[in-house]
Amino acid sequence: MKIVAVAACTAGIAHTYIAREKLIRAAELRGHTIHCETQGTIGVEHELSTKDIEEADVVILAIDIAIDGIDRFKGKKVIKIGTASLINNPIGFVQKVEKLLQKEEK
Amino acid sequence: MKFSDIKRHILTGISYFIPVVVASGLTMAIGRAIAGADVKSLGTTGLGYWLYTTGQTGMSLMVPVLCAYIAYSIAGRPAIAPGLIIGAIASQIKAGFIGGMIGGLLVGYAVILIKKYVKLPKTLSGIIPVIVIPFLSTAICAVLMFSVIGIPIIWITNALTNLLTSLSGGAKFLYGAIVGAASTFDFGGPVNKVASAYCNALLADGIGDAKVTQILGSMIPPFGIAISALITRKKYTKAEIETLKSAVPMGCVMITEGVIPIAARDIVRTVFACVVGSAVAGGLSMSWGISSPLPNGGFIAFPFFNKPVQALICLAIGSIITGVVLSLIKREVTGNDESFNDLGFELDDKELDDDLKFEKI
Repeated sequence: MKIVAVAACTAGIAHTYIAREKLIRAAELRGHTIHCETQGTIGVEHELSTKDIEEADVVILAIDIAIDGIDRFKGKKVIKIGTASLINNPIGFVQKVEKLLQKEEK
Repeated sequence: MKFSDIKRHILTGISYFIPVVVASGLTMAIGRAIAGADVKSLGTTGLGYWLYTTGQTGMSLMVPVLCAYIAYSIAGRPAIAPGLIIGAIASQIKAGFIGGMIGGLLVGYAVILIKKYVKLPKTLSGIIPVIVIPFLSTAICAVLMFSVIGIPIIWITNALTNLLTSLSGGAKFLYGAIVGAASTFDFGGPVNKVASAYCNALLADGIGDAKVTQILGSMIPPFGIAISALITRKKYTKAEIETLKSAVPMGCVMITEGVIPIAARDIVRTVFACVVGSAVAGGLSMSWGISSPLPNGGFIAFPFFNKPVQALICLAIGSIITGVVLSLIKREVTGNDESFNDLGFELDDKELDDDLKFEKI
């Protein structure tokens, strides 16, 4: 499936980027395409394009704080998780997302 | 209104407040360095005075920014202006950090309620965002702040300040140990940020001893883990040694986050060792009455402590304890660990049914 994601943590120095890297690696390992934006203390990086968002089957928000541009995801299937829980077990989390989407289709 | 929502709003506020603290803390430190230790000798011109004053002005914005962005997290853009004003009131009436936090929540929910319930005829609805929301929310929250909410907060803040300044002996050591442990506990995560914000609030009231224990607690994990890696090289993977090479310089300026990848592979033992080291260092520094006039900077701040040498001793003791304890309890690296891809593990099918659900945007 196609995933878009946003990562943002409190300090915006470390967890944000660790979460992005792990989420991307875990999702790709399980055969998904993924784009992940970061909103660190430096500002928005790897910004999602409108096309990415439009095509995405699911939106993952790995965030501990409020993020900018949340309106972009209106009407999409959005799943929220804290950066710490994501980092704890990225593979398991991606599996859970898959299962939730399957249930939804039935 | 769930607790996890409130936590997220407060963390959002803190994430905007950190750069303010960093910017004002460092300008203040450098200003003082240029002008010499005695602030009164600064005069009213010169680089030292300018930088020091900039830092002071920045510090006075701490609570307003915190308040404004907590409110922003709840109600979006319209909440920023009233949030700044209510935050400024909170610092003016000496309700401090707690006042700013509660003020931010108050403003956020007030803006949401006004948006929901204040309805005007269609021809006039344009004035809602321009006049009604900023004016009503500010006026209502300000009156509440002065008349009702502020009073117990000021009382709590004062009681807390008095309690903390009157602590002695064992109680003081314990208090230092708790602040130190909380600063270390999650390596720059939410617990650390709350501890940091709390110490900044005390610092704004002129009490700088908790700040020192928090600075030490933020620096001990990278140094302690580095010491442990020196003692027992075999207990760390190659990647971890590489990570340490950047984590230690980060630790010098009080950024703990560099050690997260190392802690992640062995979370319980690492947290335990770091918390023990920081608790001892925090307790010692509190008992010795070490105090900092600056909110951050790591080693840059040390020369400005009232007792820099003792602070270094505390840091050394804490780091060595962490290092030794960690080396004792950590296991040797196996081939499995070298290839540890830190992506977690696959779950059984039945473990997949949990609380994950779609959110409404």
